[in-house]
Amino acid sequence: MKSAYVHIPFCRHICTYCDFCKMNYEKEWVNNYLDTLEEEIIEKYNSEELETLYIGGGTPSCLDEQDLEKLFKIIQRFNLKDDCEFTFECNLNDINEMLLTILKENKVNRLSIGIESFDKDNQKFMEREHSFEDAQEIIKLARNLGFNNISVDLMYALPNETLSTVKKDLAKILKLNVDHISTYSLILEENTKASINEIQPLSEDVDAKMYEYLTKKLKSEGYNHYEISNFARPGYESKHNLTYWNNEYYYGFGLGAHGYIHGVRYENTRSLNNYLEGKYVLEENILSKQEIMENEVMLGLRKTEGLNLSEFFQKFELNLQDVFPIKPLLKSKDLLYADGYIYINPEKLYVMNEILLKLLA
Amino acid sequence: MKQENIRNFSIIAHIDHGKSTLADRILELTGNVSKHEMKDQLLDSMDLERERGITIKLNAVSLKYKYHNEDYLLHLIDTPGHVDFSYEVSRSLAACEGAVLVVDAAQGIEAQTLANLYLALNNDLTIIPVINKIDLPNADVPKVTQELCNVLGFQEEDIILCSGKTGQGVDKLLEAIIQRINPPKITNNSPTKALIFDSYFDAYRGVIAHVRLVDGELKVHDKIKMMATGFECEIVELGINTPKEVKKDKLISGEVGWLSGSIKDISKVSVGDTITTVKNPAQEMLPGYEPMKPMVYSGLFPIEPNKFVHLKEALEKLKLNDASLSFEPETSDALGFGFRCGFLGLLHMEIIMSRIEREFGIDIIATSPSVIYEVLLTNGNKIMIDSPNKMPDRATINKISEPYIRTNIFVPSEYIGAIMELCQDKRGIYENMEYINETRVNIHYKLPLSEIVYDFFDKLKSSTKGYASFDYEYVGYEPSDLVKMDILLNGEAVDALSTIVHKDFAYNRGKTIVENLKELIPRQMFQVPIQACIGSKVIARETISAMRKNVLAKCYGGDITRKRKLLEKQKEGKKRMKMVGSVEIPQEAFLAVLKSEK
Repeated sequence: MKSAYVHIPFCRHICTYCDFCKMNYEKEWVNNYLDTLEEEIIEKYNSEELETLYIGGGTPSCLDEQDLEKLFKIIQRFNLKDDCEFTFECNLNDINEMLLTILKENKVNRLSIGIESFDKDNQKFMEREHSFEDAQEIIKLARNLGFNNISVDLMYALPNETLSTVKKDLAKILKLNVDHISTYSLILEENTKASINEIQPLSEDVDAKMYEYLTKKLKSEGYNHYEISNFARPGYESKHNLTYWNNEYYYGFGLGAHGYIHGVRYENTRSLNNYLEGKYVLEENILSKQEIMENEVMLGLRKTEGLNLSEFFQKFELNLQDVFPIKPLLKSKDLLYADGYIYINPEKLYVMNEILLKLLA
Repeated sequence: MKQENIRNFSIIAHIDHGKSTLADRILELTGNVSKHEMKDQLLDSMDLERERGITIKLNAVSLKYKYHNEDYLLHLIDTPGHVDFSYEVSRSLAACEGAVLVVDAAQGIEAQTLANLYLALNNDLTIIPVINKIDLPNADVPKVTQELCNVLGFQEEDIILCSGKTGQGVDKLLEAIIQRINPPKITNNSPTKALIFDSYFDAYRGVIAHVRLVDGELKVHDKIKMMATGFECEIVELGINTPKEVKKDKLISGEVGWLSGSIKDISKVSVGDTITTVKNPAQEMLPGYEPMKPMVYSGLFPIEPNKFVHLKEALEKLKLNDASLSFEPETSDALGFGFRCGFLGLLHMEIIMSRIEREFGIDIIATSPSVIYEVLLTNGNKIMIDSPNKMPDRATINKISEPYIRTNIFVPSEYIGAIMELCQDKRGIYENMEYINETRVNIHYKLPLSEIVYDFFDKLKSSTKGYASFDYEYVGYEPSDLVKMDILLNGEAVDALSTIVHKDFAYNRGKTIVENLKELIPRQMFQVPIQACIGSKVIARETISAMRKNVLAKCYGGDITRKRKLLEKQKEGKKRMKMVGSVEIPQEAFLAVLKSEK
């Protein structure tokens, strides 16, 4: 075990498209929640040294000074490795010197900032508001305070968005000179404000063109396209997220969090009441070897480098090609092979599910 | 019970004229079903029947009724209303002495009123005309009375007015049934003859036969013989339906009931056969039924190839009480192993398909329905073709003929123009028109059956706002200028999508089919051209663009379950698809050839 995820479900504002486990900020709840979180960590955590820690949400940055103090006191229970990648998710508008100082003092060394878009129409749809200048200033402030691993999110394929908006957004993002960029195409999930308002998705052709543009442009700007939606300057790939894609174990703490420990995948409850009563886990599944191998493929192929054949063999004592129908997919050039890795043809990354369906049928 | 106090009758009506509701009311009034047991359309036991508000299968119930201090036993045999099922109607009528003809007080007589009445008259039945739904605000009793008298020749004083909804007049109807319909002939001492008018398979008791005792009697433990098949067995149980199943010791002449004999092989009990006893066998069989010939053929294929045997069993079971269904194995390059099935019409086909999917849990693909073509070859031989793929090479064909029908289209006179335009478009030949009253007509056209199978019903409904009712009879074969049209996907002909069309319509149909297919076939990993061809000539073309996106962009905070669920869902979706060559085709696409519009 080398990774842990901690979920902070509170938000000052619920975004239209968000399907994460979230709720409005309420001081009293936050207090009780953090108390319970501590109990959960005490109960589950076995004091292993952590190589990555990720505090996500919700909006962790919406916590006030008092809450943060309490949170980081809990975090001290973790045994963090010296070079532990410690990410904290922030909403751009929440960031100020006070917050950054607290984060810095508490060993946070990676910021993941949800910027999403600078376009006025997009922001209106997302019910967010911030200017490019705000972002520039905030990033500058963070740099000055010593944060040298900063990631931002960019959303695209928002309702009625055009390729030229994406181009403008990306140009501004690039100007921010950050180390890591995640680009997410809007997914209209059920039970979000957006789907209830019957927002229509963009056509897949336009969406695919945007993706094509983003990957090409980011690569030309020196970012390594290492996962379907993720780009990083060399050495700045998210170690924490790679834990997921490498199908490795991780703790999940907090409301609605997911974890994977010693062959068991579990999902925490999304009900605050149940959680506060100590009924943390909603569902627990002991995976079969077959399921673990399927997850290995499903997750591993998200990485552009793909699956390492010898690592697969070491892990399962089986050859990948003996478990899954690789050969016909190599023949159809859906999959490619190079230097001991099987990976998805980059041209087909955006239709990856079709390939997975053939592999996992 | 005196045997002369038995009455056997059917209710016949045009669809939606309230037959099943009236039957419900009769059941209630005779006290055979208590109020709390009552649910709508009690006799329609299939979910499909209740959902669609139609009767598909006939159904028999025995009702006790006290009239003038005498006990009467009324056997009500429910019948389907749709033209496709007139075979079922004729079966029930053969088990009766009388029929109640129900006409809607607002609609008046319709196409199937006429068709069912003729069937009843052919069986020499006493007809009781009933105007139903007189409680409706738009009921026009005088007008409908006029129609019954002028068009069908009834006497005004014989017509019974009632409402199945409120129950008004239903007692009068029961009185008429007792007074006007003859009791069955009593021949208890003659050798037993019982007509099998229906049968079904029960998983625990084997085949259950519905019978009308014409002569003699049947008792539990009697050794019986099916006169046509020669099959012998012992009666294990017999009884009547009230509508609950009630076991009895014996059935006597004139009665209608059911029997079982641990019969496992469904083919031994054929509808229309006569049952007699082994001890004192009858010499002659009762006149059976002429099974109706299927008019529409379609290929049914299981989506999962390993379900072929299941599909065979399902068809066999359905055929047990649906003699009109026919099937033989068929192989398609595109769809694998399946059956070429013959149906009485499109509704019949739709019903059978739904029953296979619901009752047997088999997902199926149906190919475009075809009529039977008569092909005269250059060598003078004549062959019958029930599938476009059996069409011989064009060079060897001298002449192709197709079946024609004659229509009864009942419609308000303001739609005469619309009907004529529609029939003209469908290669119809005008014959004549009769006025039912000042505002309604019955229009007769001669039309190719293939056009009816195509989209006639939908067009008829939309061009008359649903006011037209339609029925038809077969009039024989006529030569036509027909060609076979193939559909190519990604350059390969898909045999299951081939159709036979009139040459003048080929271009338009081809264009519509490829446009429909473009809508219905999801994007694939590569671009897929769709072409409609006659011989090697391409007459229409569309292209499905390659799929551009199918990916879960974000992997939520380690939430793998969600991603797996999405994949599982997509996997399920693929199961409903058929791989044809390199292209995945959804079920609906095979019916695209049927739709005339996008």
